[in-house]
Amino acid sequence: MSRKWLLPITIMCFIAGFFLTFQLKVMADISTVNPISERNTNLITIINDLEEEIKKQEELIGETRDNLDKIQEEQIKGRLQELQDSLKTAKILAGLTPVAGKGIVITVDDNTEGLKANPNDDPNKYIIHYSQLLNIVSELKVGGAEAISINGQRLITTSEIRCVGNLILINTTRIAPPFEISAIGSPRLLTEIVTASELAIMKLSNYPVDLKEAEELIIPAYKGDLQFKYAQTKGEN
Amino acid sequence: MKQKWYLTITVVFLLMGILLSLQFRAQESFASGLTMQRTENLIAMVRDLSNKRQKLSFEILDLTERLTAQKQAERDDKQLVSNIANEMDKLNIITGATELIGPGLTITIDRYMPILYIDIINIVNELWAAGAEAISINDQRITANSAIFYAENSNNVFLTVNNHKIEYPVVIMAIGDAANLEKGLTIPGGIMDNLALFGAYPVLEKKDEITVVARNDTPHFYFLKEYKPEEKSSSENKPAANNQILKD
Repeated sequence: MSRKWLLPITIMCFIAGFFLTFQLKVMADISTVNPISERNTNLITIINDLEEEIKKQEELIGETRDNLDKIQEEQIKGRLQELQDSLKTAKILAGLTPVAGKGIVITVDDNTEGLKANPNDDPNKYIIHYSQLLNIVSELKVGGAEAISINGQRLITTSEIRCVGNLILINTTRIAPPFEISAIGSPRLLTEIVTASELAIMKLSNYPVDLKEAEELIIPAYKGDLQFKYAQTKGEN
Repeated sequence: MKQKWYLTITVVFLLMGILLSLQFRAQESFASGLTMQRTENLIAMVRDLSNKRQKLSFEILDLTERLTAQKQAERDDKQLVSNIANEMDKLNIITGATELIGPGLTITIDRYMPILYIDIINIVNELWAAGAEAISINDQRITANSAIFYAENSNNVFLTVNNHKIEYPVVIMAIGDAANLEKGLTIPGGIMDNLALFGAYPVLEKKDEITVVARNDTPHFYFLKEYKPEEKSSSENKPAANNQILKD
């Protein structure tokens, strides 16, 4: 009789043990990554503040550019049409206007299932790296993509795709998985080229990959700066 | 009686255990968050974001000034034209419409280096990340739409940029802060280290003045049109398709 309560106690201890090891493991992970975690907390606060401020600045820039466009259009209406047209073309080429058109949307994500199944494996084999995004983007350009964005960041001439640690940055803006790459262009051509290489490799490694053709994609305008300190037009100066 | 009591407790603890472990799992999988980054990476982020914030505030200043100038110009054609010309100058740097000069870095790659088109893509991407303002490869300007790829004929594989064959030596020119650009390529574990593993040693030269060529032709867009959010959707019935295909 008296032995019957042994079972529940055993189970309880078992669970408590699991729980403790989990917690210890997580704590150990954090302490190896962040040796001075208080300092890191401060840095993270600074980063969050900066990102918030940058977001507001970019909104302001977007609004001001829209305003300028409207005033310009108003003032020029019916005159200087040629000048106005070439300005408009330049803005579209530069990526300062939102654009729409046919194209494809590629979604790729970290292979979290794979990591769960092999928790002791190197996590780097399961997360998306900037180089994979760079390869996909480069292929899209070969396929004649006319405009590209990743998670809402418009790619312009000077846009970089890079990482700091395992954070992926585009236009110095942090983007997180899942990554949605939108490209305007011939859906057939774009699909053909991307499915032939990087996406195929990613699929083989069991990354969740999805590709959809779209009749009308909208790609947002670039809202960052156009500040140049070094480049000068030849002939002037 | 007693047994039932234990059973309840067991179930409650079991549920708690599952819940907690799930939560930890969730935290673990969010490895791309800031909390999992090393201190030096967080410091790099703060530095980059501060730089960006500064550039954005300059941009805001610029735009505000232009807004004022534009309002003052009213119907003064001369003023309007000069305002637009100023704006075009800036846009032309991005779109590659004009030839540019400035300080910068040149990267020279000869025929015998084991370098693939993918390495060129990486070098160019690294240069943008290091603050390059304009880049060309031989006689081809790099723009948002530039394709860097390869082509092959019966006995050769060669690099192509904008669908043009690139001859050796391949010279990448990047206008910007020469020291920063060089640092971007030569940081330990960076692209130069990587290429060295394959026995490729591109030659880097910092220059006081380099010339980056203008693009050869205006890209023609067949699928893309300017997107106008609602506003006019009542007067024009939906997208005024194709009438905004870019022409020069």
